[in-house]
Amino acid sequence: MISESSAQLSPLRDPDVRLMLEVRDGSAAAFEELVLRYQRRLVTVLEHQLGSREWAEDLAQDVFLRVYRARKNYVPGAKFSTWLFTIANNGALNALRNRSRRREVSLELRQSGLSGAHPMERLLQASSTEMPARQLDKAETRQMVRLALESLNERQRMAVLLSKFEEMSYADIAEAMELSPKAIKSLLSRARVNLREVLEAYVQRGELPSPRGDDPSPDPS
Amino acid sequence: MADCPMSHEPVENDPIADPPPLEEELVAYLDGELDAQAERRIEQLLAADPTVRETLRQLEHTWELLDDLGAADVDETFTRTTLEMVAVEAEEEVRQVTAELPRRRGWRLAMQLGGLGAAALAGFLAVALLRPDPNRQLLEDLPVLENLDQYEQVGDIQFLEMLREAHLFEKEDGHGT
Repeated sequence: MISESSAQLSPLRDPDVRLMLEVRDGSAAAFEELVLRYQRRLVTVLEHQLGSREWAEDLAQDVFLRVYRARKNYVPGAKFSTWLFTIANNGALNALRNRSRRREVSLELRQSGLSGAHPMERLLQASSTEMPARQLDKAETRQMVRLALESLNERQRMAVLLSKFEEMSYADIAEAMELSPKAIKSLLSRARVNLREVLEAYVQRGELPSPRGDDPSPDPS
Repeated sequence: MADCPMSHEPVENDPIADPPPLEEELVAYLDGELDAQAERRIEQLLAADPTVRETLRQLEHTWELLDDLGAADVDETFTRTTLEMVAVEAEEEVRQVTAELPRRRGWRLAMQLGGLGAAALAGFLAVALLRPDPNRQLLEDLPVLENLDQYEQVGDIQFLEMLREAHLFEKEDGHGT
């Protein structure tokens, strides 16, 4: 939560807050402008968070719909982007948790050997035949980075995405993820150390990182 | 970090332990989130220790690798379908408001009729209470009227007054008139 004085100043500082205030007053053009400004950013973060473009687009549209529904009660209390990504983060967390419940059956199948290997293992099998000189091409690097990102838990991943793609400060990420800046500092640090361990090991030696997957635990620190 | 000598407490619910404070500070340094004093401290450490420099390089390198993920390419179809979804939502809101209008009008009419009825009742009561009642005088004069024929036969008011003062009328009318 930001202070009352900064809340009063934010509409003057943030043009997107002013647009949202116009949306609140019934301007369809202002809403369209917000969609145009944020659709790419929102889909980018959600696609990397959810690991599916189609799913990301569905959720991004749901986020815009929620913004529209909330317009009449909108009170500028933070940067518009922070507010938008708070809605997006909550939507993504819910979507991931619903997916994990649906995946319980398929996970049991995988563990019983009826399904394929972990994606990281598949990638390694496909690309590690010639390991001594690790010359990764662009597509392989992108795939490896994507898998390394997937190896983070969902909150580490969202913090990384907001930091990397939205260039948010720790304070803004904290607000968007409803955590303290101290927790974000710790979360981002662990995420980047994990990424370094996965990616450096792979780039240097082609070593298989231990798979992790989403961790729905509520404790960020 | 395995090669860092600084110890730390493992955190519950996280299968990978917390990074040592040095790595946390290095990440915050790369993100520009340190205050001036902490920044100077890290820079001194970097100048003095090649292991720390290598850790910083690796953290920076893997962060740069994330650029390969790229940004999503959103086309016009997404924009159009998003705006259409919102337009449908807006139409639904209008439809709901329109559907509620007759009910609201009914309530308003009922309120208006109730107000009119209350005003009429108040007016009636005011008139009934404040207007002089013509029957009241008749009721007061009723004992005289009932015996008017007999009084007229006397023909002398002073004689009647004497009879009244002698309380001779009290038995008849009970009013002393």
